[in-house]
Amino acid sequence: MSDPRDNVQEEFLAEAQELVEALSRDLLLLDEAHHRNERIDPGLINEIFRSVHTLKGIAGMFGYKHVGVVAHTLEDLLDDLRLGRTSVGPQLLDVLFDSVEHFQRLLALDDPQSPEEEARVQAYIAAVRSIGTETAEEEGDPLHKYAIDPAVLSVLTEYEEHRLRACIREGFRLYRLRAVFDLTAIDDSIETLRNVASDDAEIITYLPSMEGGNDDTIEIVVLLASGVPEAQLQAHFEGRYGGIEAIEERTHLPTLPPRLTSIPSTAASMGAQPEEDPSQASLHSVANSVRVDIRKLDHLMNVVGELALVRSAVNRIVDQFKGESTYRQSLMDLDRIGRGFERQLSELRTGILDVRMVPLGQVFNKLARIVRQAAREHDKQVRLVVTGANTEVDKLIVEKLTDPLMHLVRNAIDHGIEPADARTRVAKSAEGTLALNAYHKGSNVVIEVEDDGGGMNAHQLRETAVSLGLLSTDAGHELSRQEMLNLVFLPGLSTRSEVTDLSGRGVGMDVVKTNILRMGGMISIESEQGSGTKITVTLPITLAIIRALIVTIASRTFALPITAVREAIPYIPEEVRTIEGREVITLRGETLPICDLARLFGFRGSSRKKGGFVVVASMGNRELGFVVDGLVGQDDVIIKALGKSLSSVRGFAGATDLGDQKVALVLDAPALFTEHFDGPEALRAAETHP
Amino acid sequence: MSLTGQRATLMPELDSDTGTVAVLAVLAGDEVYGFPLSAVREILVPPPLTEVPRAPQHILGVITVRGQIITVIDLPKMLHLEAEQDDPCGRVLLVDNGEELIGVAVDRVIQVHRMEPDQIEYASAMSAELSEYVVGVGRVPSDSSTEAEEMLILIDPVSLLGE
Repeated sequence: MSDPRDNVQEEFLAEAQELVEALSRDLLLLDEAHHRNERIDPGLINEIFRSVHTLKGIAGMFGYKHVGVVAHTLEDLLDDLRLGRTSVGPQLLDVLFDSVEHFQRLLALDDPQSPEEEARVQAYIAAVRSIGTETAEEEGDPLHKYAIDPAVLSVLTEYEEHRLRACIREGFRLYRLRAVFDLTAIDDSIETLRNVASDDAEIITYLPSMEGGNDDTIEIVVLLASGVPEAQLQAHFEGRYGGIEAIEERTHLPTLPPRLTSIPSTAASMGAQPEEDPSQASLHSVANSVRVDIRKLDHLMNVVGELALVRSAVNRIVDQFKGESTYRQSLMDLDRIGRGFERQLSELRTGILDVRMVPLGQVFNKLARIVRQAAREHDKQVRLVVTGANTEVDKLIVEKLTDPLMHLVRNAIDHGIEPADARTRVAKSAEGTLALNAYHKGSNVVIEVEDDGGGMNAHQLRETAVSLGLLSTDAGHELSRQEMLNLVFLPGLSTRSEVTDLSGRGVGMDVVKTNILRMGGMISIESEQGSGTKITVTLPITLAIIRALIVTIASRTFALPITAVREAIPYIPEEVRTIEGREVITLRGETLPICDLARLFGFRGSSRKKGGFVVVASMGNRELGFVVDGLVGQDDVIIKALGKSLSSVRGFAGATDLGDQKVALVLDAPALFTEHFDGPEALRAAETHP
Repeated sequence: MSLTGQRATLMPELDSDTGTVAVLAVLAGDEVYGFPLSAVREILVPPPLTEVPRAPQHILGVITVRGQIITVIDLPKMLHLEAEQDDPCGRVLLVDNGEELIGVAVDRVIQVHRMEPDQIEYASAMSAELSEYVVGVGRVPSDSSTEAEEMLILIDPVSLLGE
């Protein structure tokens, strides 16, 4: 199965994907800076340039011709941007954002070389090329303001010269810094200097001086530009390096030549490759992490499971010999060793789980792009506020979370946030706010999607549900406001009748809900008409291990994820009543529908004369009692998927190894709820949804 | 007839040295079945089987093998050859169907046959229902004294994918 070519291909795709993600992230920063009219950090543009450049390189090696061509065209555009021949504007940003879509599509295609792609790529390239260059306004060369040795100017690269001019235009002052570096560690030292300077000053160039230094060290003269007051800069570099001095502004008289007089021939080559050093440094920083196929982690997890089984087998043998005084000492030793082993094992398990964790920021970045795109399509002003992007969850959850969250975000912009003029009419700020908040809460992670838009009209929801026949008029009248809002999760209901580009593409909130529930999560909605909507998604931190209630049904063992379980009460057959053909009991004055799992699963001869329990489970705002024979206890279980042959069997989320080679099926509470309340057909319908 | 046949999924691989295919013969119900040896990963003494409610009839349940959950099927039931197996689970073959491992419950494992291509009769002559799972029929010398030849039903492992 492991064709080395496939592996190489996979490596390429993974790396390309990372580059595109980095590109997307940087573009969002650029967009934000532009939006706020902030100074655009030239380092950011360099970073974008570098991502595209690297992508071009690897695409060429792996024969992704179109990716290479698109990257190459972008490179030209970004080079113009770097050199100030063009500037950041809406059109340029659009073109750059489009590139992310193009790259992602091209990387996902089986046949990226098809003629249709050729046409698309050509159209895109034309769009990129249509962004012209600007001729710099000739207001007199700003360089004349400073007395810089022409010999220095002559060795500046085009980029350095551009940055120098740009900095002077921005009113930055020029400074000279002397530093003595160890020759062997010069790259690292310069990188450090770059980091130290970056907050307050931009490094234009650095050149070795002929003074100072000896066989092992070299003195570097650094040309800096900075907008902060000189005193602050002095303080910043105080005690570091050889001190900093301002370069004189030229007055009427040509002043003395600056001290950068003697330029050794090596200076030209050093100064000419400014972007080499940072890229090397970034290579250093990624060398500390490795990319791992998640299947390898799954395998490790299985091995840990096996080790736990070995451990319990050893325990059993120890138990057999207990009471035999001959072995007492050895048994005690064995017991102690066993406990140590168990501790290490659980640490190993935690470690592997930890490796699977990735920050939610990965998803949020994708969402930020959606927000930008959707806001533009709808001509709405939306400010995105993100908190908790560092919150970590299992990689599998992150992957499965993207689509549901994307839908929620689109909904918020499409249906929630009003157009600017409508907002100003009701005395709201023209710009709507969409907040993405993530935080940990116990063993769960909570993600909120909150907008300050128009909110939902609960009564309209109810009327739509009634008119679609999803609800009887009478039942509708009994609903509380919260229950009306929850109607939005019903299959086939949409708050707006017209289909829009963004949401309403047939994938409704019901699918979002099903997907979230399937991951063992919950979703709830709060909405105040006029002031906004908040959707809260609660998920387990990891899918792999869940806490479960172990129950028996007709002598068979099952696991029920504890997230769904409210309580367990004794089952008293005499208290069961039947309403509309369905069994219910009364719990604290409320009617609770129950579902006899032995009967549902067709276990014959389930002789429940006495005993038995009702496990009360809740999903959203519905409650259901599962009738079981016995409660074994709570346990942390590792859920494993059932094989393909069983994919059509409903009601089970997977299986888990209980040790002793015993397997227990894990009940799929959301599916059982849907089946009980909406019938098996609804379950199948939800399944076949894309 | 060429061994590469009409089916791309045909599993028995011709050993280029000997010109034979290695087939594992097993008894399940009343029939002898043959699996391409290259697809059989392991032969297990059956671990405790957990039945799966509402599963199709031919699925006996699931077992765990080194932490992996494996579905175990009843071959005669799957082929609609309704034979009651006396001991439905004497051994479990772990068969690689190209996508995952499937457990096949058998009464016992008989032997490995090295079959010449002309010992195999391909499936075109068989009923449509059977040919979905069966590559063909192989004829091997019988180990019983009453008959000279024995038939074995050659299973296509890819067909065990299930739905």
